[in-house]
Amino acid sequence: MLHWWFRRFSCMSRSQSSRRTGSMRPVNAAADGRKMRSIIAEDSEWSLELVPLLTTLCLQHIIKHFREKPILDELTPKYKAYVLQRLPTSLPLTITANLISDESYWKRCCEGRWAVSDVSTYDNSWKRMFFERHLENIIEFFIPDATDTKTVLDVVPLCRNYVKRLKVSQLLPPIRESPRFDEDDRSDCASDTGSEGPSMDHFDFRILLDKLPNLEELNVVYGVKGCGMNFEWNLFEFTFRDCEFLAKALHSCKTLQVFRIHRSKVDDEKCCLLVSQLLDHPSLQELDFSHNHISDRGARAIGKLLNRSQLKRLVVCNNQIRGPGAQALAHALSKNITLLSLNLRLNRIGDEGGQALAQALVKNKTLVNLHLGGNNMTEPTAVALSQALVENCTLKNLNLSNNKLGVDGGKVLEEGMSHNSSLVECDIRLTDVSQDRSITVQ
Amino acid sequence: MLQPEPFAGEEADEPGPSVESKNQAERITARRLRIAARNETKTRQELGEDSQGKEDIQEETRKSQKEVEKSKRHMVKLQSDGLELVTNIQVAVDARESDRRTELEEACRLRRDKLENEAKSSQEKFEEITRKWTDAKMKQTPLDLRDAMNSQQQLCEQILGDKNKLISELQQELKASDDHYVKDLKRQAKDIDLLIERMEEQISSLKKSYREDLQQIENSFDEERRTLLTKHRKKWGHQMKEQSEKELRNMMQGLSLLEEHEDLLQKLRVWKAEEYNTDKIRMDTEVQNLRKKLQEVKFNCHLNEEKLDYKYEVLKKREEENAILKSHLKRKIIRMQDVLNNLKSKCASQEKQLKTEEQSLRNDYTRIKQQYIDMQKKARHFAALDAERFEKLWLINEDEVKALAHRVLETDRIIHEQQLGLAWVSPPLPFMERSGPIEHKTLRTASQAAADTLQEETRGDLVEESEGLGDTASGVNRRTVKRILELLCDELGFLVESKLLKLVSHLEKNDQSLIKLDAIFSAIGIESEKDVYTMAEFLMNYRQHGREQRELMEEEETTNNSDFIHHNDLLVALKEFTAQYCRPHGVQASQKSSVLGLIMRDDSEDAAHWESIANVIPESKLRLWSALDTAINKYHTVLTERAELLVETQNVQQQNTELRQLLHLYTTSKASAEPEMQPTRMRQFPM
Repeated sequence: MLHWWFRRFSCMSRSQSSRRTGSMRPVNAAADGRKMRSIIAEDSEWSLELVPLLTTLCLQHIIKHFREKPILDELTPKYKAYVLQRLPTSLPLTITANLISDESYWKRCCEGRWAVSDVSTYDNSWKRMFFERHLENIIEFFIPDATDTKTVLDVVPLCRNYVKRLKVSQLLPPIRESPRFDEDDRSDCASDTGSEGPSMDHFDFRILLDKLPNLEELNVVYGVKGCGMNFEWNLFEFTFRDCEFLAKALHSCKTLQVFRIHRSKVDDEKCCLLVSQLLDHPSLQELDFSHNHISDRGARAIGKLLNRSQLKRLVVCNNQIRGPGAQALAHALSKNITLLSLNLRLNRIGDEGGQALAQALVKNKTLVNLHLGGNNMTEPTAVALSQALVENCTLKNLNLSNNKLGVDGGKVLEEGMSHNSSLVECDIRLTDVSQDRSITVQ
Repeated sequence: MLQPEPFAGEEADEPGPSVESKNQAERITARRLRIAARNETKTRQELGEDSQGKEDIQEETRKSQKEVEKSKRHMVKLQSDGLELVTNIQVAVDARESDRRTELEEACRLRRDKLENEAKSSQEKFEEITRKWTDAKMKQTPLDLRDAMNSQQQLCEQILGDKNKLISELQQELKASDDHYVKDLKRQAKDIDLLIERMEEQISSLKKSYREDLQQIENSFDEERRTLLTKHRKKWGHQMKEQSEKELRNMMQGLSLLEEHEDLLQKLRVWKAEEYNTDKIRMDTEVQNLRKKLQEVKFNCHLNEEKLDYKYEVLKKREEENAILKSHLKRKIIRMQDVLNNLKSKCASQEKQLKTEEQSLRNDYTRIKQQYIDMQKKARHFAALDAERFEKLWLINEDEVKALAHRVLETDRIIHEQQLGLAWVSPPLPFMERSGPIEHKTLRTASQAAADTLQEETRGDLVEESEGLGDTASGVNRRTVKRILELLCDELGFLVESKLLKLVSHLEKNDQSLIKLDAIFSAIGIESEKDVYTMAEFLMNYRQHGREQRELMEEEETTNNSDFIHHNDLLVALKEFTAQYCRPHGVQASQKSSVLGLIMRDDSEDAAHWESIANVIPESKLRLWSALDTAINKYHTVLTERAELLVETQNVQQQNTELRQLLHLYTTSKASAEPEMQPTRMRQFPM
């Protein structure tokens, strides 16, 4: 027993120490070398390390001329590792993209280019991270009419096999030199400024999406990041043609699983257009229209989409959906068998929509998460929900915060919950229920 | 845990799933730990530790597990609390936002109402103005018109004022909302700060609690370990003590045992010493006796030694002699061996020589044999040729002789008929019919004879009888011969080769016996038919001899075959026969040559034959002929004389005629001219 413990601790300590001295390894190796070989006494400065091995020289030469003559796969694993460890990150992607699969090289590339890099969100693949962020960068700084589309298209064949997710956090509008602006403005943000012209279209996704065979996730924001005091409404324009292009691009990309469009002023018309192209999409699982201007018509279109796709997660928080829209969604939900999560936070569905959703919950057998926070719902909804909770046995999380359910509504809801066996969490903060609390069943 | 949000109240994660997922992960880890602990206990059970320790361990693990679970629950609670704390801000912001929205809606509604009212009132005013315009048009007087214009202007200004007021109001609202916006932004910034602060707090508190929990868990583990250690140590000590006690006890036992054994040893020593003394005395006496005996034995031994020495000397001498003899013999042997070797070599050389000689002789023999065969062939060939030539010659000669005989006979006949005038009778001429050389009747072989005899059975009795008549000449009945042959066939089977017997076994009886007989005859040496009959005769005679000797036996057996030799006697008889008739060997040799193809012609009768032909005219006739010859010769001489005379007469007659002619001439013509000349010429042609 004692021995076992001792061994275990010693092992741990050893592994820790080795980890600590990991970076010192070359020095140690040198010291070992010195120990092994005898030193010639005449020159005290002299040591064997001063004479590099021929193989080392060769490898250094290979590294030096890697740009002209990339030799890598022909090397033995030991030398390959040596070369990869020393290759400069400034090599053109056309050489390295499809040749080097070693993670450590791409790690060096990423760390050299970006200060913060969390590889865990990229399936722990530095290469994927590098190419995704590289492509995102190119798209984010793409100025229509000013930048050549070739800059994007050139990168596509290099990164098409590695890009799985695109998080485009900004899209620049085309430059319109306008005499109305001051010199300062233009000098400050020449690329960001724009004016009402015949075309305010952004980057056309059609040229890109159908060329990425592994793309699974797309996040788009039609707007400019960090514009500061150079704010212009023009910078945040999502034109109808943009929407058209985007919808067609989405239609062409059959591998897409997640699509998010935030803060892009998507109104009913554009929403209808996007949804019409996403109908019967073979792989789409998550749709996120957060922070847009969708109202009842758009909600109706989304409701139609719900039963003509494999959507598992739908987020339409912070839109302007009202009762009728919510009713349409509730109608779709009552027939749906795929949706697991629905987020309707910060809409105005009111009691009308709330009751309709509660009735839909009675029939639905798949929904697990439902967020109805900040929806202007009152007591009747609470009554309807409590009835629905008695019947429903799949819902696990229900968020009703910021609704004026009132004291009576809270009581009714508590009663309904006591008959339910599946609900894990119900958030009723700021709902005027007698005491603010989050009740956890089970 | 939570990422900093860009806008408070706008971007928010679902609180539920994250907590739950965290929960699940922790649960999974907890389960894993539990499973690991269980496995450990199991292995320990298998190792066979005592039950008490096992229970203790179980309890201990349960304790540590409890600690882990407790800390886990604590952490979950802490997290959910922290999350609530953080999300509280979000919820509050959400609430504010929704409030703002309702306010905004309300304000919008109010504004819209106000605007609508305003629009309505301004519309009314505008209508009033337009109405007044028509009134103004009606006005005739410029004064009125001016008044109207003024009032219109006032109204217009009123509308404008209203509008301006509205605009300013709206502008104020805008400003207020701008201010509000700025305030909101500031508040949101504050909220975000708060959020971040709380998050950081949360993180630090979580870190702290994690650390504490870890410490606690480690402590619990340490404690567990320590208790376990002390327990085990105690157990070890206890066992050590037990062990040492046991050893002590064992040592004491060993010591007591040692003492006992020492006592026993002492006793045994004393007893053994006494025994030793008695034994020693006994042994001493025995030694005395033995010494005496030894003296005697020594004496004997000495005596024997002397004797043996003498004998040894004798033997040595003998041995020497023997050695000499042996060497002699050896030398002899060697010599003999040399001789033997010489002889052997000689013999070998002789043998070799002989062999070569033999070889040469053999070669000669083969050569000669070949020559002989060739010669034979040649001889046969020449014989055939000779025979042919002989025959031809014979025929030619015979023809010649026959022709001569014919002529002679013809001459004789002519002589007889013409000269003598006697009737000619031709002498008997047997040879005239015959042509070619005289053919000798060949002797029939024994086997043929045997075949004939055997064949008779199949023929009728008549034939037999008729044949039998011919056979009586040889003195033995044909039937008896046949019987004898059958008997031979039965009795002398040993002379026939077994292979032959096998071959003939499927043939008919007659053929079988025939072949057998053939073999037997060749063995005995019987060649010709004559031999067969002589043998048969001999056997018959022998039987008669035997009958005299063994009459009793004969009487019994003759009932069946009265004139038959007894089969027991057959062999003896045959032996005798072969002894008597050994002559056939020579005959055999001569006949063998004939067999080879050189058929010797018997020319004994040839002379007679020719003689007979030559003597076709008998002596008497010859004498007659000689007489006739002389007579004819005489007659011939007479005739010649007569012929001469005839010629003379003729000549004379001619002379006569000539002379007559001359005479005539003379007479007729000049009779006197040449009378003297005629007579001279006549003299020139004498007879």
